[in-house]
Amino acid sequence: MATDNSILPDADLPRPNVSLMALLGAFVRLGMATFGGGVQAWVHRDIVVKRRWLDEKEFLSGLTVAQVLPGANPVNIALYVGMRLRGGIGGAIAVLGMVIPAFCVILVLGYLYRTYGHFEIVHFVLAGMAAAAVGATLQMGIKVAGRLPRNVMAAVVAGGCFAVVGILRWPMVPVVVVAAPISIAWAFLLERKAGNVR
Amino acid sequence: MFDSRLLGLILVFAPLSILSFGGGQAIVPEIQNQAVAVHGWLSDPQFADLFAISRAAPGPSSLICALIGWQVYGFWGAVVATVAIYLPSSVVVYFAAGWWQRNESSPIRSAIERGLAPIAVGLIFAGAVTVLRATHAGALGLATVIVVTGLLYFTKLGAYTLMGSVALIYLGIHEAMPLLAG
Repeated sequence: MATDNSILPDADLPRPNVSLMALLGAFVRLGMATFGGGVQAWVHRDIVVKRRWLDEKEFLSGLTVAQVLPGANPVNIALYVGMRLRGGIGGAIAVLGMVIPAFCVILVLGYLYRTYGHFEIVHFVLAGMAAAAVGATLQMGIKVAGRLPRNVMAAVVAGGCFAVVGILRWPMVPVVVVAAPISIAWAFLLERKAGNVR
Repeated sequence: MFDSRLLGLILVFAPLSILSFGGGQAIVPEIQNQAVAVHGWLSDPQFADLFAISRAAPGPSSLICALIGWQVYGFWGAVVATVAIYLPSSVVVYFAAGWWQRNESSPIRSAIERGLAPIAVGLIFAGAVTVLRATHAGALGLATVIVVTGLLYFTKLGAYTLMGSVALIYLGIHEAMPLLAG
């Protein structure tokens, strides 16, 4: 494990020589391949298994970072991998590779929507796809909820955030600004009570 | 030259970027709230349409922000919205990732992980409810949600396969409706 104070990439680990062009190419392809979620699986298969740019442990550690810190997971994973391999510039290149082609595709789709969106059938089919996407969201929510600890704190915080933002429709920013410190402090106290913290 | 509508996009999306614990799914309710209720950039059905497009397209689903930006201020609106939703969180990750990895056994790190996870879960479910409300989902919509959730949960079918199938089925239903109505 790294003990120095340098930011990623760590000097004590051997790094494969990855050119910025190769990095860009890899993430352009990944950006176009990650339809409808599942980005972790694609990045894992390509970066860890196929190209061997990172090992399993590094990848999993990056995945946690990408999920816990703010930001879209695909973008955070790209940033992490790029930073590990080529520092800040690598991170920026990987993110651009992930975002720019997808950005172009979505603008084309947006253009088609503006041109044909007034047809009732387009709206009808999109409503069906939105319902399917809600299903994907729910499935993901259920999966993540399954990993929460079974305690009062997790239930109160998750249920409270859902009720306040989803049902009462309070704005999210102040809710999270208030809920996050409370929830983190609560988690900290729980752990200390359990004796995991000296 | 810097229009107030561009500034509006930044002021909406940059704070969401910093607070998007739990990824793009967690900020859906607030994107809807800001774009529809607060700023009136879109109607509810338009929001639902753009949500469907962003989920069907490749890349991160938070690119719905690009579509909203385009609606507000054309191409540059899309660019500004995209930068506003990705840059602030990326800066946080850039500076936090090193600390995060060096403090694997820190109780503070563990408390942050455990404290933020339930917030993300609550917001993800709130996002699902928000989109359902925006689509004015009827019996068909609700049935779709339940079937897709079940299939994704209990089978190995991919989300993209399912969305494509649902689109085809809805197309079929739409074409059959005049026949059914006689």
